[in-house]
Amino acid sequence: MRSPFRPDFPPDPAILDDHKPLIRSLERRGLIRGGLSLGALVMLTGCDVRRPEAIESALLAISRLNDGVQALLFDPKKLAPTYPDSMILRPPKFNAYYDVMDVKPVNGTAWRLEVSGLVADKRAWTVSDLQALPQTSMVIKHICVEGWSYIGGWTGVALRLFLERVGADLRAKYVAFKTADNYPSSIDMASALHPQTLLALEYGGETLADPFGFPMRLRTAVKLGYKNPKWVTAIEVTNDYPGGYWESLGFPWFAGI
Amino acid sequence: MVRGYLSAVASLLLAFVCGLLAFAGAAHAQSATPGGMPPPPGMSLAESAAVRFPQPVRVGDLLGRQVLRPVESQDVLGRVRRVVRDQNGQIMVVVNFGGFLGFGTRPIAVPADAMVLLGQDMEIVAFTPNQLQQFPTFSPSGTTDVADDTIIKVGLAKPSH
Repeated sequence: MRSPFRPDFPPDPAILDDHKPLIRSLERRGLIRGGLSLGALVMLTGCDVRRPEAIESALLAISRLNDGVQALLFDPKKLAPTYPDSMILRPPKFNAYYDVMDVKPVNGTAWRLEVSGLVADKRAWTVSDLQALPQTSMVIKHICVEGWSYIGGWTGVALRLFLERVGADLRAKYVAFKTADNYPSSIDMASALHPQTLLALEYGGETLADPFGFPMRLRTAVKLGYKNPKWVTAIEVTNDYPGGYWESLGFPWFAGI
Repeated sequence: MVRGYLSAVASLLLAFVCGLLAFAGAAHAQSATPGGMPPPPGMSLAESAAVRFPQPVRVGDLLGRQVLRPVESQDVLGRVRRVVRDQNGQIMVVVNFGGFLGFGTRPIAVPADAMVLLGQDMEIVAFTPNQLQQFPTFSPSGTTDVADDTIIKVGLAKPSH
């Protein structure tokens, strides 16, 4: 049926051609610069549009604002829920940015943990050095940004204790990690000092298995799963934003839970 | 005053929503290398399981687990019903397969080496649903149940989404 609102004489489509440059500037610059309201952003991101770079950077700015708000809200004394040992999932769930067949096991004997940046003692650590430090255990939930979770039991050295031992500047902003699988990561100092942040050496009371980060990985109860690098080979204390693997692809950096 | 505060809170909340939405687009990046790939060509089931870093798991912990299809939609193929050793000594996972909403399923025996652990779930990586349709209905004769406390080794995969 013909719409009753349709005019009898539609405008000549050639008008569009005549004013093409003007219309284009309206669509692009007008909408992006003038109309960059929060509401418009919701609409734009809800649709599958090719995001111009201006939108992309605006969204990243909002993501950084979110990071800042999360950092403000973070309570360094508040503990994440813990669970009984009987609830530990054995074996844990594997995940990486590649499938398990591409895991390259790390030789624990040759492995060294490099320490750099704002620390007094830059001596490299062996596995037995770490094992000789007081060990902490925690049964916590691993929560992935993709929506899945599982309960895991981790044992290792509290990162706070480690940072104190190496004489790290605890007022520095970031603790950054490098890994054997080229998955750089970093967390804020407040989360690094949280009592539920470990340099994990064991899972479920046994040495960490190869696919889960042997010989050492980060496990923190206050961050999403992708902030827990496996096969850690280097730790740096720094004031320069170190970023991370998924963060460089647009994931939020703070990622607190 | 209160109004100003409320609107500040409201715009903060909106900012969170926007950040989340911005981030939803990026989340797809995590599927760059798909998980649960079928065995590489020319590899036996046992060989392909061996390259998936088989991990010890208690048989009793497998019972009742969901069995998924290794595709992004992670369709549920069935549930683990029991674990048996067949005439050749091969470990088979008996899966209640097919049906609709859990009704009308039939048990089929899938080699453990054709499956992977995916957290609390399992996946069948070596057979497509069409191939599984052709599997005979499981009959316990000639097989022996594997005790719940037995530890077997099963390969891993990353999530398929």
